Amino acid sequence: MIDVEEYTLDNGLRVVMAADNRAPVTAVNLWYGVGSRNEEAGRTGFAHLFEHMMFQGSAHVPKNGHFKHIESVGGSANATTWFDRTNYFETVPPHHLDLALWLESDRMGWMLPAMTSEKLENQRQVVMNERRERYDNQPYGDWDERLQSLLFPETHPYHHTVIGSLEDIAAATLGDVSDFFATYYVPNNAVLSICGDFDPVHALGRVDRYFGEIARGDVPPPLPGDDRVAFETGETLRSDAPGPVPLPRVYVAARVPPFTTDLYYPAEAAASCLGTGRSSRLYDRVVRRRAAKSASCHVLPLTSGATIFLTVATGYPDSDVDELEAAVARELDQAADITEDEVSRAVIGEETRMLRALQQVETRADLLSMYATHFGSANRLNEDLRRMRRVTPEEVRAWAGRYLHPENRAVVRYMPAAAS
Amino acid sequence: MTGRNSPPQAGPIRPYEFPPVLDDSLDNGMKLRIVHNLPGRLVTAMVVLRAGETGVPRGQGGLAVLTGDALEGGTARLSSRELAARLEDIGASFGATTGWDYTTVSVSCLVEHLGRAMPLLAGMVRSPAFAPSEFRRYRAQRLATATHRRMDPGSLAADSFVRFVFGEEGTYGRPLGGTEASLGALGPACARDFAMSRYGPGQAALVVAGDVESREALELADQAFGDWDREVETPPEAVDGDGERGRSVHVVHRGGSVQSEIRVGHVGVSRFIDDFFPLTTLNLVLGGSFGSRLNLNLRERHGFTYGVRSSFATRRGAGPFAVSTSVESAVTGAAVREIFSEIVTLVEQGPAEEEIAAATSYLAGVFPLRMETTGQIASRVAATVVFDLPADYYHGYRDRVRAVTRDKAAEAAQRHIRPDELCAVVVGEAGEVAPALEALGIGPVTVHSDEGGPG
Repeated sequence: MIDVEEYTLDNGLRVVMAADNRAPVTAVNLWYGVGSRNEEAGRTGFAHLFEHMMFQGSAHVPKNGHFKHIESVGGSANATTWFDRTNYFETVPPHHLDLALWLESDRMGWMLPAMTSEKLENQRQVVMNERRERYDNQPYGDWDERLQSLLFPETHPYHHTVIGSLEDIAAATLGDVSDFFATYYVPNNAVLSICGDFDPVHALGRVDRYFGEIARGDVPPPLPGDDRVAFETGETLRSDAPGPVPLPRVYVAARVPPFTTDLYYPAEAAASCLGTGRSSRLYDRVVRRRAAKSASCHVLPLTSGATIFLTVATGYPDSDVDELEAAVARELDQAADITEDEVSRAVIGEETRMLRALQQVETRADLLSMYATHFGSANRLNEDLRRMRRVTPEEVRAWAGRYLHPENRAVVRYMPAAAS
Repeated sequence: MTGRNSPPQAGPIRPYEFPPVLDDSLDNGMKLRIVHNLPGRLVTAMVVLRAGETGVPRGQGGLAVLTGDALEGGTARLSSRELAARLEDIGASFGATTGWDYTTVSVSCLVEHLGRAMPLLAGMVRSPAFAPSEFRRYRAQRLATATHRRMDPGSLAADSFVRFVFGEEGTYGRPLGGTEASLGALGPACARDFAMSRYGPGQAALVVAGDVESREALELADQAFGDWDREVETPPEAVDGDGERGRSVHVVHRGGSVQSEIRVGHVGVSRFIDDFFPLTTLNLVLGGSFGSRLNLNLRERHGFTYGVRSSFATRRGAGPFAVSTSVESAVTGAAVREIFSEIVTLVEQGPAEEEIAAATSYLAGVFPLRMETTGQIASRVAATVVFDLPADYYHGYRDRVRAVTRDKAAEAAQRHIRPDELCAVVVGEAGEVAPALEALGIGPVTVHSDEGGPG
């Protein structure tokens, strides 16, 4: 149970505070309600490129000054871009909380005066190299591009990936940077969470001082395209990728109800029963029997219309990819007979893993920001912890039967090119 | 007015002390290091075995790693499946990790379940079954990983780099997890022999960190390990090979690459050097932080890469010193030139006062930030066992960091970085990158044929 205080500044910035002085560590975390789902056609990858520009300085902070300030006081900082949001975070010794708040407020309010085309060109190259390093030069690197374009129709905001295409990244302009900033980087589209060792009265005063004078913006526009989508693909959709990979691998995904619905609890329990730990079905029935080298299963906390229930299995060099797929599919097809014991194990396992994750203030702050962004209430994290304990085997079975069948499936398969 | 123009002043410093470590041992010689009464309902119990890959006979590379994997494969009393169920029914996570100097086997769970988890942990360590069918599965998994590493550019670069720098005969010249050839020769009897000759109380420690009373932890430790009786050998130390000792460039061709994976470095240092802290601080300036010279140059000035880092591996023997990055193929020559230039400049001129001040401030400040979880604390304490450090070692850690001066860091650079011995390894399109590397004139360039790339 986390004690949470929530406030909203006059400019619409939501503030979440969870003080806990057991360890001398303080986390600052900002979620902006913008991610790859907000990108228009021809501008894929822009939300992420923009995230990089946020480290290129602001009116009172020089290029790379953000990292320099934070590292020189013994803190760490970073940011990530995902489908529904972009997060920025610092973990600092408690006496440097004000520094982190000042830095975050400066770029929320005064980023544009520091932008130059030279900086954009530099970060464009950095991001292109990020794409090359993590996707283009990696075995299996294009799996998410293949899977998302298969699983979601072209008009859906999850049809394209967060990293985007090299062509679109090449086309981004400084004008795009200012437009994006004015549209999405407004206090009323953000949540600021502070966790760990701090004095809430002091912190709220500093938040008000540093962020209070930033002007409210317009309500961000609706998502491009249409996020309504059936929880059914009609048939098993496929994409086969023969080529330079060392081991066969299959990605099997389903379109399921999103994070913001009550149907997410049985989805998490099902993913855990199927794919977490050595007692899970995929490990016990597929990996132990040497039908796969490894297998795992996750459901992603996405909110736009549907989310992704994803199973990944990697075979051995001589595995037959059809057999690998069949072994995974069998477990998904049979998930509607998950037992009470399996659900209890999943619940205690998830609870222990969650407690473990919450030991770190950085994670705690990020989850609070996530709940505040998607549910309008950070305290919902506490409710979710309780709710997860009450998931019943009946719920899990009904959920699995309804969503994990071959008419709601997309499969991406990699197979090593025939040995030469 | 908000005073926005300059960064705010720091507030009052909160005191931090690394939690007290109870230092004890069992009658059979097994060390106990217990960090008790931590907040948070969780506990991590970790057995530290001085049985890493360093102690594996030549030709059996991967044996320590594979033996560690196979500890999860069941005990004298429980099958692999039963063992997993017992632990996962109480929400525990468990597993073995093997490095050059150690194998650790750990369990993490809610503290009220420690009494059930500890005997299971002891069973894995003391009486592993090494059933042939299970063992063969773990071996097949490691073999597949070795296959994967030959086609993954980063792994291929890392494995090639150590082979050139340490030589085939050097302990550290081979991949930690073994090769397809060495793994293929290992059977369950090899694992049994290894465990029986290396896993024993005289070369082991139990670390417990969590929301537990020390008396309870001691009792559980004694019940689980007190009657463990096995004489084992003192683990051997790493041996040197005949790797590159002059400047050299090796291009490992990987067809179809759109980037070059680059490693630059040479044989580094042992954890036991006297100037460990000056060198650690110096490395932050070179390539160990976002604001390092290498990252600001290659990423923030030139846009060559998503990131670059440098590191001195922390091992009992002298491990690798390496700069690692991946860059677009077309700028490979320029990137290697900049890496050499930054290393040479730092060695010749030393770091600036402000750089060392920022780096020591970083190290001292970040230390408590990485002690939040029972797992982090247990791992730190495990390192004291592996490196023969006293149980209260971390209590003076930040003082040792703050004692580093600019001159000491400059001396460490001169002592431990040898620009004349830098070896560059590049995994990429040989036809495109080799001419650019030749043109640099930094050393003889050798091109190695395709090692498993797409062709």
